Formats: sequence, structure tokens, C-alpha cells
Amino acid sequence: MGSYVVRRLLQMIPVFVGATLLIFLMVNVMGDPIAGLCGERRCDPATAARLRAEFGLDEPVWRQYLTYMGNVFTGDFGTAFNGQEVTELMATAFPVTVRLTLIAILFEIVVGVTLGVVTGLRRGRPVDTGVLLFTLVVISVPTFVTGLLLQLLLGVKWGWIRPSVSSAAPFDELILPGLVLASVSLAYVTRLTRTSIAENRRSDYVRTAVAKGLPRRRVITRHLLRNSLIPVVTFIGADIGFLMGGAIVTERIFNIHGVGYQLYQGILRQNTQTVVGFVTVLVLVFLVANLVVDLLYAVLDPRIRYV
Amino acid sequence: MLLEVRDLHVEFRTRDGIAKAVDGVDFAVDAGETLAVLGESGSGKSVTAQAVMGILDTPPGRITGGEVLFQGRDLLKLKEEERRRIRGAEMAMIFQDALSSLNPVLSVGDQLGEMFVVHRGMSRKDARARAVELMDRVRIPAARERVGQYPHQFSGGMRQRIMIAMALALEPALIIADEPTTALDVTVQAQVMELLAELRREYRMGLVLITHDLGVVADVADRIAVMYAGRIVESAPVHDLYKAPAHPYTRGLLDSIPRLDLKGRELCAIKGLPPNLTAVPPGCAFHPRCPMARDVCRTDVPPLYEVTGTDAARRSACHFWRECLDG
Amino acid sequence: MSDQQYEPERALAGTGTGGTMDLGVGEAEALERVPDGTAGTEPRGKPRSLWSDAWRDLRRNPVFLVSALVICFLVLISLWPSAITSGSPLKCDLAKAQEGPQPGHPFGFDGQGCDVYTRTVYGARTSVAVGVLATLGVAVLGSVLGALAGFFGGVWDSVLSRVTDVFFAIPVVLGGLVLLSVITSNTVWPVIGFIVLLGWPQISRIARGSVITVRQNDYVQAARALGASPSRLLLRHIAPNAVAPVIVVATIALGTYIALEATLSYLGVGLKPPSVSWGIDISAASPYIRNAPHALLWPSGALAITVLAFIMLGDAVRDALDPKLR
Repeated sequence: MGSYVVRRLLQMIPVFVGATLLIFLMVNVMGDPIAGLCGERRCDPATAARLRAEFGLDEPVWRQYLTYMGNVFTGDFGTAFNGQEVTELMATAFPVTVRLTLIAILFEIVVGVTLGVVTGLRRGRPVDTGVLLFTLVVISVPTFVTGLLLQLLLGVKWGWIRPSVSSAAPFDELILPGLVLASVSLAYVTRLTRTSIAENRRSDYVRTAVAKGLPRRRVITRHLLRNSLIPVVTFIGADIGFLMGGAIVTERIFNIHGVGYQLYQGILRQNTQTVVGFVTVLVLVFLVANLVVDLLYAVLDPRIRYV
Repeated sequence: MLLEVRDLHVEFRTRDGIAKAVDGVDFAVDAGETLAVLGESGSGKSVTAQAVMGILDTPPGRITGGEVLFQGRDLLKLKEEERRRIRGAEMAMIFQDALSSLNPVLSVGDQLGEMFVVHRGMSRKDARARAVELMDRVRIPAARERVGQYPHQFSGGMRQRIMIAMALALEPALIIADEPTTALDVTVQAQVMELLAELRREYRMGLVLITHDLGVVADVADRIAVMYAGRIVESAPVHDLYKAPAHPYTRGLLDSIPRLDLKGRELCAIKGLPPNLTAVPPGCAFHPRCPMARDVCRTDVPPLYEVTGTDAARRSACHFWRECLDG
Repeated sequence: MSDQQYEPERALAGTGTGGTMDLGVGEAEALERVPDGTAGTEPRGKPRSLWSDAWRDLRRNPVFLVSALVICFLVLISLWPSAITSGSPLKCDLAKAQEGPQPGHPFGFDGQGCDVYTRTVYGARTSVAVGVLATLGVAVLGSVLGALAGFFGGVWDSVLSRVTDVFFAIPVVLGGLVLLSVITSNTVWPVIGFIVLLGWPQISRIARGSVITVRQNDYVQAARALGASPSRLLLRHIAPNAVAPVIVVATIALGTYIALEATLSYLGVGLKPPSVSWGIDISAASPYIRNAPHALLWPSGALAITVLAFIMLGDAVRDALDPKLR
């Protein structure tokens, strides 16, 4: 197990470097890193040259990247456009997005798994077909459309919720945005659970459990669910990274000042430090989440041993 | 009589129509007796076992008629909860592939102990102790150390022993073993079969042994029922049947066993394939493959004739069982 | 284990669409497993090929027929939008801004006083163009790279695996924002280019897996033993049998690419006005959501139906091609 973790960590390094380098190149080469520094106006050539030298932008890109990463690993993510430390921005933005992601994950677990179990056990019945069609629609409608429609209905027409979230973004205001963020994954979790339950329900060991004279309830919870939920748990685990990266749309719709909002601002203002900093953290979250998922697999399924 | 199955009918809904998987099957097993149900795959022997056990997948399967009398009670008329209490406790089943039939993510101790927890209301700790005893009973070495291991950590033979232990756990009156040794190596097959026969004697259980392997049957069974296309075509005490089969299908099965004493002679395989159960041939289902078939076989379904002229209770579903018996 | 397979569309999770996982809505429940091999073992008729079998199934599948019909309609109106509209999507009258439906303008007007019906019809062109072209690009690039890696294995395979890992680690919408925000061109090409750039690893994984599976088949081994050259092996023996999963995933991906373009346009980095795109219209209508919800609902509906049609089509094709369901 230990050597497996070490190997996986080593494998993560090239992926991490590749992903951050790619973003670094996109931001630095495609854009103009100092364009955002002089406010709305264009920088005059002298200032531009001074800024370039100050930020080391006259150096080759690979050296810039190394310098940047070196700084990052000492905790220095640079400064944002308004002179704020990027780490400060992160300190305010990440808790909001983490709350949002938590709510989304909760929706996936509670609603998605429940729907999946119910439909998996009633394959071919009207409730199954209905839920299946519904998940197909949810998957097909882009998140931003779902979000706008729910905002229109619940927030504007019926007035159940505040259409936009306050800057403190407490849990209760994040419920609807969390649902919107979760919607697609929720549909996936439902389908995955359904398929998995339906497959395992016909398995030999479930038949054995029935032949042992176990009550239906015990057959389902102890034998069927335990096995069927292994792929679901790993899917949800891997989803954490996707959700945090995908929160950009949801956060924009509901005006939530989280990671997505800061990134969006950073990109609009061409603020290199903010963008690369946030993306670096997101990539790390993604990679760690995937590693945890792989390790979780071994805990849930005794057949898997890492060597 | 411990178990008596009367005129059992089971149908399956398939994309090609209704398949009559079991089409009027009768048999009986007494306490301490071993009945072998013999047939090719698709003959309906496993479906019969599942119907008796009450673990048929419904749908697509459906029991459309008949009685399953277990210790005098018709199981098909019981409520599901009553049947559940019988399953595992009074009649138990052993499956073919122990690797897929055991839950991969629960330890064997948990799976064995579960029988005592559910049916006897024991604590987990006591149940675990009983699980170790059971594993000892089926001669799994180092039972105490291995009770916490998972099915994939055992060899094929050991896994099948665990299945047997699970079936024996509550000392049921009847065990149904569905191809218990088919998935095993030949040497292990013999060991497992021997263990099963020994335990059956010890506990005086009835055993229904479902198999397609004539070789397995000879040593352990008292009686044989041969199934073809959802019906029993011949039933007889094992030695009488081996000596002189009263149905051409049985004869064909016996002839297709390679025998050392007949080395050099060509093996007689039964020609053709078993019928598609959604379109069973009219008349005798075996007639397209039967070397003795005549016109009447193509039109009239043979009843299960009583075979007279021998001391044993024998039956055959062949219009010409006399000719067949005479060879 | 380290090569754990994520659902391919997860790469596009941020766009809010995707789906190859068992989407079978119309799946036949009659195909139940019959224990003990009760299903016919009798040989029946002559063997049919995978493709003709699949086509026979598809023709009878209502999901396929409906989605194919919708897609045909979409393609037709993207080629000849003037067939069902008389106006121009760019002819707007501020005086009529946010007005509701009226004769000749069944969908009403948007915030700029443009006719929502005309704009919705013309929006199909962008979506279909982006979807089709991006899918073509992704499919060609992805399957060539994936097939080569799967066929030759070794170093190239490892390199490709790591490169796809890198691409999967970048959130798609984020990558789109970063890359497209600096591009000023107002055509569909940057969006298509971006989708191809970030989409190919998804297809390449599928193609690679599929080639590896087919490569191990006996008939390929036999052809190799008979001395077939690698290119002949790949083109004549492997490709035709490995292409089915790629087609399925590409069809479903087409739907997700349309959604991705709309998402990027909604965020202001995809297409920009005066281009006509559902994403732009939805974005422009969202501030007036209170007064003129129709300006939001029509393009949203059109977008949803389009994406749904492609995903259901892919789903139906997958069901038809998946031998496991037979």
C-alpha cells in the first residue's frame, strides 16, 4: 500500500507540472500579463518595460514558470490586480466554493443514490422509465440553462429564495446553487447506481443471499447495496475536483463570490497571478481527490490489493 | 416423503416467446436419500431446483402449475415470509460457482455467521464462533485464522467447502446441490463430492444433486431422474439405469462416456442439439435426435410409462421403452 | 488500478452535459437472462453483421427515430434558415425591446428589440456548425492518436496516457475562459479549435481501449501470423471493428460540444455579438429575466432540445451496437 501511494504521488508530478504549465503558457503567452496592471488604459511603453522587468517577464517562459512554482511552494502566490495577496483571495473564495461543493455532493449522495436504488430495484416499471427520462433531460440541459430557469422560477416567480447569494454565502443560501451545480452529476449518480444495482441484483451472490433465507431488507442493504455502491462512491469522490472546477458557471448565475467568481474576474482583467494560482490549487485538488478515490477502492473492495 | 414435486410447470418470457423451461415434472426425495437430476444445460434441471427453493427470478420466470410438497406442506401456497424462514434453515442450496456465489466484499466468517444471526438470533460473536466450527467441520485447515478472510483468498475447492458449510449451518432436512463440482478440478471434485456424501449420511439429510455429469452420479446417488426439454424422461435406481437404460436419450448419454474397457471403439455422441424451448418439437421432444424414432414419436407425446418386468420402480417416457431396455 | 477509467464525458463535466453511462431509456426489458441456457441454442437463419443488426434495431427504436427527425430538422434549418423565417436576426428595433409575442413575431422580442423567433432559428446554424466541425476534428485527431498508441503500445502509449491525464486535470470551462478570452476573432473557428484541443483525449482513450481489445482477438493474431503488415492489420482488420465505440461516444460528445459552445458564449468568451448564438441570446436575456422571460426560454428550449437529440441519438446507437444487450 505504502509503495503504491508513493508511486501514485510520483505519477502525479508530471500531470501536475503538465497541467499547470499548460495553463501558465495559455495565460502568459496568449494573453498580455501586464495589460491588466495599468487599469483600463494601455500601459505606456516605459512603464510596460519597467513592469516586465519587475515581474521577470523579460526572462524565458520556462524560467518564469520555475520561478513562479518555486514561489508557490513557499506559499507565495503573488498579488492580484488590486494589490491584494492571491492567498488572501483564496482564503475568502475557497471556503465559499467548498461549502457549495459540499452541498452538491450531499445532493448527489442523498437524491442520486436514493433515486438510483429505487429505479434499479424497479427496472422497467413506470417510475424507472420516468426517472430515466428525467435524468436524460437533466444531463442534456446545460447547467447555465438549468440554473437560470430555476432562478427564474424559484427566485423571481415564486419568491422562495433570494435570486442571488450574499457575499457571506451561508449554507442555506447555497442550497439552490448547490443543487444546480450537482444537477448533472446527480443524474449520473442516479444512472450509475441504477445500472450497478440492476446488474448486481441478478448476481450469483445475491441469489445465494436469498437462498440463505435472509429477509429482503437484509439482502438489499447488506449484500446488494454494499457491492453496488462501490463504483458510485468512487464516482462521487472523483466528482469533487470536477465540481470545484465547474462551479464557475453556477457562481456566475447566482453571483456567488467563490473560486469561480475570482477566476472569472482574474481572466477578464488578465491577472496572471490570480488565474494561475487558483488553477494550480484546483488541479491539486483534482489530483488528490483521484488518489483518494483509488485508495478508497481498496478499502471498499477487499479484492483489490495495491502492489 | 421429505420432498415431493408434482406436475411442476415453469415458464420464461423471452424475446422469442414463452419458453416452457419445466413442463410437468414429478419427483420425490425421502429423508436420507440422494436423488440425482441429470440433464444437459437447458433441460430445466436448475430451474426446477430454483422453483423448489423459491429463488426463481420472477419475472421473467413464472411458476404456472404444480405442487412442491415439503414435509407435507405445499410450498407454493405459502407466503413469502414463511418460505423465507424455511430457506436456509430447513432446505438449503449449494451453487455451482462458489466464487461468484459468495459475496466478494464480506468475509467468509460474516457470510457463514449470518445464517445464525438471521435464523437463530445469535450475537455476532457467537455466530463467528459457530462459523469457525463449521469451517472445521468441512475440513478447512486453520479455520480460526482464515475465518476473517474473503472468498477470493481461498482456492476453488476450499470455496466450495465454504458453500457446503453454509448450506449445512442450520442442519437442514434437504440440500439441493446445483452442479456442486462442475467448476472444480477433477481431483478436487472427488474430495468435495465425498465430503458432501459423508455429511449427508451423518445428518441424514435428503439430497437433490443436479448435474450433467454421469460420472459424478454413479457413486453417490440412490436414484436418477433424467431430464430432457423440461420433462423427466426416465427415472430409476442408479444401478438399474446404468445397467439397462429404458430411454434412448439415457442410452445416448451413457454411450457418450469414454470408457477404458471400450478403448478404440468410436464414441457415440448424441447427434443434433437440444431443442429451443420456445419451439419444442411436437410429439416426443427427443424424436429429431432419436435413432429409434418412428411415426408415432412425431405426433404423440409419450406419457411417463411404468417400466415393468424389473423389481425396481422405474419409469420411462418412451413409447418404445421395451425395445430400448432390451438394447 | 492506476488506469481507472472515468466516464469520458466527465472531461466536459463543467459544461453541464455529457453521458455515455447507461442512458438506455428505451431498452427492451424483455431481454431477461434465462437461467440454464433456456434461450434457443438452435441456429437460426444466417448470421447478420453487427451493423445491419444494429440498423434493424434502430429503425424500430422510437427514441432513435424522434431524435433523428429532430436532428434532420436542425440540419435543414441551419442550411436554409430563410425557409422558415423572413426577417434577419440582426434587424432589431429598440422601440420593441422586451415586447411579448405578436402577429408575425410568435416568440416576441428580446432586450435589443430583435425578433426572438428569427434569432432562435438562425442560432441553430452556429450550434450545428460548431458541433459537427468540432466532433469531426476531435474524432479524427483522437482516434488516430488513440489507435496508434493502442496498436504500437510502448513508449508512445505511456506518453499519450500521461498527456491525456494532463488534459483531464484541466477544468474545461476554465481552460476555455483562459484561452478564448484573449482571442478577438469573431468566427466559430477559435471555439472549434479549442474544443478539438481539449476534446481529443476523450476520444483517444476510447479508441485506444477499443483497438487494444480488438487487437487481442484471434482473427487479428491469425492475420499477424500470416504476415500481414502493421498498416494492413490496423486498417483492414482492426479499425472496422474498433470504430463502433468511437462513433457512439462522438455522437454523444457532439451534443456536449453544442452545450459547451453555448456555455462559453454565455460566459462571454465563445462567440460574441454580432454573431448569432443561443448562448449569446441566453446571456443577453438573463438580465431581463423578470420582464421578458420569453427571450430566455425560447433559445434555452432550442438548445436543450438540440443537445438532448444528439445525446439520445448516441444513446440509441450505443444500445444498438452494444452486443451485451442482445
